[in-house]
Amino acid sequence: MKQAGKDAVSASNTTGEFTSAARLEATGVSVHFGSRSALEGITAAFGPAETVSLLGPNGAGKSTLLKVLAGMLPPSHGEVLLDGAPVRKPAPGVVYVPQRTGVDWTFPVNVLDVALMGRAGSRSRLEPLSKQDRADAMEALERVGMHRFAEVQIGQLSGGQQQRVFLARALLQSGKVYLLDEPFAGVDVPTQDLLIDLFSGLRREGRTIIYATHDLAQAAKCSDRILLINRRVMAEGHPQEVMTATNLRATFGGQAILVPVEAEIARGAGGSTT
Amino acid sequence: MTSVLNWILDPLSRTFMQHAFVAIVLVGVICGVTGTFVTLRGLAFMGDALAHAIFPGVVIAFVLGRNFLIGALIAAVLVSLAIGAIGQSERLSNDTAIGVLFAGGFALGVALISAQRSYAKDLSSFLFGTILGVSRGDLLLTGAVGLGVLAVMALFRRELGLIAFDRTFAQAQGLNLWAYDQLFLLLLSLSIVISLQTVGNILVLAMLVTPAATARLLTDRLPRMAFLAAFMGAGSGVIGLYISYYGGISSGASVVLVATALFAIAYLFAPGTGVVTVRLARRLHYAHPERDAFDLDDSLQAPLSEPPYPEDRTTHSRGLPTAP
Ligand SMILES: Nc1ncnc2c1ncn2[C@@H]1O[C@H](COP(=O)(O)OP(=O)(O)OP(=O)(O)O)[C@@H](O)[C@H]1O
Ligand SMILES: [Mg+2]
Repeated sequence: MKQAGKDAVSASNTTGEFTSAARLEATGVSVHFGSRSALEGITAAFGPAETVSLLGPNGAGKSTLLKVLAGMLPPSHGEVLLDGAPVRKPAPGVVYVPQRTGVDWTFPVNVLDVALMGRAGSRSRLEPLSKQDRADAMEALERVGMHRFAEVQIGQLSGGQQQRVFLARALLQSGKVYLLDEPFAGVDVPTQDLLIDLFSGLRREGRTIIYATHDLAQAAKCSDRILLINRRVMAEGHPQEVMTATNLRATFGGQAILVPVEAEIARGAGGSTT
Repeated sequence: MTSVLNWILDPLSRTFMQHAFVAIVLVGVICGVTGTFVTLRGLAFMGDALAHAIFPGVVIAFVLGRNFLIGALIAAVLVSLAIGAIGQSERLSNDTAIGVLFAGGFALGVALISAQRSYAKDLSSFLFGTILGVSRGDLLLTGAVGLGVLAVMALFRRELGLIAFDRTFAQAQGLNLWAYDQLFLLLLSLSIVISLQTVGNILVLAMLVTPAATARLLTDRLPRMAFLAAFMGAGSGVIGLYISYYGGISSGASVVLVATALFAIAYLFAPGTGVVTVRLARRLHYAHPERDAFDLDDSLQAPLSEPPYPEDRTTHSRGLPTAP
C-alpha cells in the first residue's frame, strides 16, 4: 500500500485495457426522506482503477449515496449513470457491501455457502453451481484468510471473521465497481491491512472502489480521491488538497475533532508520499 | 412376526385409511419444505394467522355447497395480499397487520358458521380436520396443488433462500423482494389450505413449524434441512395415524404429538447440539481431554495468519481444495 500513488498513475494510464472497468456517475442526485433531505444535488464521477473514500459526519448521507449509486434507492432528483446508461435498479457490474448486514446468523449455511452466494446472481435458475464456482469460492475465501473455516456455520464466527466472509462473497461477484459502506468499522489491524491489500488488488485489475469511512487518516493514506460529504459535496479531490482545516470544519462542523485529526492527517499524508 | 405385520397392514386394507395415509404423507412433505422457510424467516405467526384468516373462505364454500379447497384458496390469496398491503404502512408493523386480519378473519368465519344448524359439529371438523373423510377427489386436488407448490419452491429455492438469509444482498442482486414475498405467502397459503382437511386449522401450524425445527437441530445446511423436515413431517404423519387408529385418539392431535416427540428427542439427543449429548460429551472430554473434537472457541482466538485447526479437520472432508 506504500505505493498507492504510483499504482494509481500506472493504472489510469492503461485504462483502455481493462475489461473490468466502468465509469459510474451521479448527476445532481438528491434524496428526500419525507420532508427531510438526506442528499442535495450530488454530482460526482468515479472512473476505472480508482479508490475513492466518502467522508462526513454521522447522518451526512454517505450510506444513502452508496445505496443510490448501487441502484438500490431511487433518487428523488437526478440520475446515476453506469457507462452512460441510467441505473434504475441494481446492475450486475456493481457490487454493494452494506454497513450492517441484517443477516440471520442462525441460518443453516456455512462459510462456503455464503461465499458461493456471490455467484448465484450470475447463474440461471436451473443451472447448478459448478465445481469451478466452488473452486473460485475457496480461492476467494483464501484471499480473505477464511478458507479453513469453509465448513463452519456462519454464526459461529467472530464479527470480523464474518465481515471477511462477506468480502469473499463480494469478490466472487467480480463487479466493475465496488461500493463498501464502512468496511473498516470494527475490524482489527490485520483485517484492515487485508482490506487495503484487497483494494489495491481490485484497483490494479481496473475496478473502481468507493467506500465510506470515518477514519480520516486512513482515507488520506489509502485513497486516490476523497469526497467530503455533508448532504452536499463539500470538497472533492486528492487527499492533500481536500483535507484542509477549512474543508474539514465546513464538513464536520465543531472544532473539537479537528485538532487531533489534523495531526493524524499530517502523519498519514507524510507516510503516503514516500 | 405375522401379528406385527398384521398390525401394520390392517389399517392399510381400508380405503379411508389408505386415503388418510396418502394425504398425511403429502401434507407432511409439503408442510415440511414450506415450514423450513417459515421457521427460517420467523414467519410462524404469519402461518398461524393465514390458517385462521382463511376460515371464512372455507365456511362460505361450505355454506354454498362448493369444494372447501376453492373457498380456502380464494380467501388465502386475498388475506396474504391484504397483509402485504397493510404491512407496507409506515405506522403499522407487519406483525400488527397479521394480528388484525388473523382475529378479524377468524371471527367472521365463526359468525358465519354459528348461523348454521349443526354448528358445533361443523366447527370442530373445521378446526381439527376430518382426515378419515378424505375422498379420492380431495386426494387428487391435494396432490396436484402440493406438487405444484414443491415444484415452484424447487425452481426458486436459491432466491427464497437468499431472501431468507440476507434481504439486503438479495435486493442488491436485483431481486424483487416484494414479488418474492408475495410468491412465498401464496405458496404458504396453498400449503396450509391443503393441510386443513387432514390436520385442521389449529394444528396446521405444528406441521409447518415442528418438523422444520427438528430438522434444523439436526443439520447446518439448508437443502438437508428441507429434506429432513419433509421426512420428519411425513414420518410423524404415518406414526401418528397408526397411534390414532389403534389408540382411538384424534388423528390431528396424534400426528402433532408424534412430531413434538421427535422434536424433543432431537432437542435432547441431537449429535453435537442436543442438551444431553453436549453434557455427555463434556463429561467424556474432562475424562479424556486429548480426545476433544475441535473446539471452535479456541480456534477463533487464534491469530488468523496461523491455521486455526489442525490440517485434517475441516476442508478435507468434502474433497475441497485446501491451502498447502
Ligand atoms: N430509510 C430512511 N428513512 C428516513 N430517513 C433516513 C433513512 N435512511 C437515512 N435517513 C436519513 O438520511 C440521513 C443520512 O443518512 P445516512 O445513513 O446516509 O448517513 P451516513 O452518512 O451513512 O451516517 P453514518 O456515518 O452514521 O453511517 C440521516 O439524516 C438519516 O436520518
Ligand atoms: Mg452510514
